[in-house]
Amino acid sequence: MKGYAGRILRVNLSNGKISKEEISDEMRRKFLGGRGFAAKILWDEVNGIDPLSEENKIVFSTGPLTGLPLPSSGKMVIASKSPLTGGYGDGNIGSMAAVHLRRAGYDVLIVEGRSETPCYIAIQDEEVKILGARDIWGRTTFESQDRLEANHGKTIGVLVIGPAGEKMARFANVISQRGRAGGRPGMGAVMGSKNLKAVVVKGTGKIPVFDEKKLREMGRKGYAEIKAKENYDFWIRQGTMQVFEWCNENSCLPTSNFKEGTFRFSKRMDGYALEGAKVDRKGCPLCNMQCGNIIKDAENRNVEMDYENVGMLGPNIGMDDLRKVGVLNRMADEYGLDTISLGSCLGFLMESSERGLIDVRIAWGDLDACKKVVEDIVQRRGLGETIFEGVRMASQRVGGNSRDWAMHVKGLEISAYNCHACPGMALSFGTSPIGAHHKDAWVISWEISTDRFSYSKEKVEKVVELQRLRGGLFESLTTCRLPWIEVDFGLHWYPKYLEAVMGEETSQEELFDLGDRIYALIRSYWIRENRSWNRKMDYPPSRWFEEPLSKGDLKGYKLDRARYDEMLSGYYEIRGWDENGIPTRETLEGLGLGDVFGGLGIHG
Amino acid sequence: MAEFRFLGYLAEISGKKRVDISLGNPKKLRDILKVEFPENRCIVLINQRVGNFDSIIRNGDKVVIMSMISGG
Repeated sequence: MKGYAGRILRVNLSNGKISKEEISDEMRRKFLGGRGFAAKILWDEVNGIDPLSEENKIVFSTGPLTGLPLPSSGKMVIASKSPLTGGYGDGNIGSMAAVHLRRAGYDVLIVEGRSETPCYIAIQDEEVKILGARDIWGRTTFESQDRLEANHGKTIGVLVIGPAGEKMARFANVISQRGRAGGRPGMGAVMGSKNLKAVVVKGTGKIPVFDEKKLREMGRKGYAEIKAKENYDFWIRQGTMQVFEWCNENSCLPTSNFKEGTFRFSKRMDGYALEGAKVDRKGCPLCNMQCGNIIKDAENRNVEMDYENVGMLGPNIGMDDLRKVGVLNRMADEYGLDTISLGSCLGFLMESSERGLIDVRIAWGDLDACKKVVEDIVQRRGLGETIFEGVRMASQRVGGNSRDWAMHVKGLEISAYNCHACPGMALSFGTSPIGAHHKDAWVISWEISTDRFSYSKEKVEKVVELQRLRGGLFESLTTCRLPWIEVDFGLHWYPKYLEAVMGEETSQEELFDLGDRIYALIRSYWIRENRSWNRKMDYPPSRWFEEPLSKGDLKGYKLDRARYDEMLSGYYEIRGWDENGIPTRETLEGLGLGDVFGGLGIHG
Repeated sequence: MAEFRFLGYLAEISGKKRVDISLGNPKKLRDILKVEFPENRCIVLINQRVGNFDSIIRNGDKVVIMSMISGG
């Protein structure tokens, strides 16, 4: 089958063994690539172990469109059993490493075992080495990228962790190209647990494609279509930061640890403020709608900003200055910490401090106090010890009723959308396959454009549809979803791209089945790895049910628990999962996953 | 007076982020606006309730027109 390098590269850091394995046609047909491959590999190979143990594995996975001359195709998925959630964890990242891995002749890299000393993996086509990393261990992701480029040349792809990953902060991520980030649920901590500082990859080969001429022509048309879109210029100016004004208008802005949905200083922070402060722009490989807007932070250093970071490190912690937000954002990128979880952790500590549950005073909007917490997380001292495992574990340490303001689902901190008056988005967060994250199904526009306060069946169906496309298709292709969702680039292009690449037609039904298969497998993984699984793990935090908004046009609104529960049952019904959210035998068999049911440990 | 606000790139289309208009008689939204919007990519809220470009607008109404963004 064309479109694939056709091989998995496996590196065992315990014994130094390096092997190359063929990817079967069945694997390609059933799981496509990216997230699909990762979920299948983790289901088969990572069972019942401690995520930070030698037995865990980390999977760097591309798809059949990755690295080709197509819109925003420079993406890969990084997946592992998550040390933050205890379940399936992944994140996508834009990086030259994705392009080079495919050019080097591999679709997937699996790293297993643990090195006795700090190391990094260097791949150049067929040559794969495990090298010592003593000179970069302890260094920031930016410094490490510089040194690795000095050693291996600038034309490489780099995936690197910072000191936060080395110290196994549970929301440590992976960084590339000095600011591209991925792997929210602790993928950086997994690398750290393996003493793996970085992966460096350079590929000089060609990615096999069925009809290269046709693909290049369609790629050109795709790029041109994107540039011709009526909101393209505005996107280039503001990128994801245009969301800030929109969310504030619609009471969705995460404010004061998700207590409120509007921020009184929003005009200091929105897309227009960003435009005024912008000094440059950057993005991922093969993308013509780059989303990384660069400003000078309050310490006069360059930092790449986007909405999620600004929402979580701005209004969510009472920070009312974009340049101050930039300082925290840049520190997170340098140390290799997820900015969304960091913002939630800081908000949790601020509220705990306000309520007198922790001794250290950390006031809303206090930049110096926040900087100290970031340093403490990386050094695992002081408040860092309280919070380095995320808000779920921190609430157990802090005690009292702090669980009520620990804003997470399944242990993953919620990304930057308040859902007091967005039941559909609350369901999306509740059922996201990695814990609370927006990438799988961002449904707020749709629900506001219909009836935002309803708990309708149509809304549940919309969440499932978006999960199939965003969470199933795009995460497995593996390309960025932003051309489609942000500037309305035609979805019809993707089956055509697949056909030109693979030489086979793929129907919409097959692509939807793919998404459902991946979702059922990931859900099965959660159930197998969490013996105490129950449907309450699909609930958003109690704050949105119990504490109404006290400000803004939607003052008084909150979610209705009983009606949310009905939506959740409706969601399970569409998915063919039982009342506890567990895929039934029939559902799994219908998706070609008949062997999975036996692995769930359920009899009957 | 009726209040009209435009978010994001729709403010570029309208030329203003906000405009207040005194309406003699109630009118359809599309008859009040002087420019065309990409209607299938727009959300119209009238006094916080969903409307559309054929909704009737009266003095005192607060209208927000925003794009169907996708949240990254």
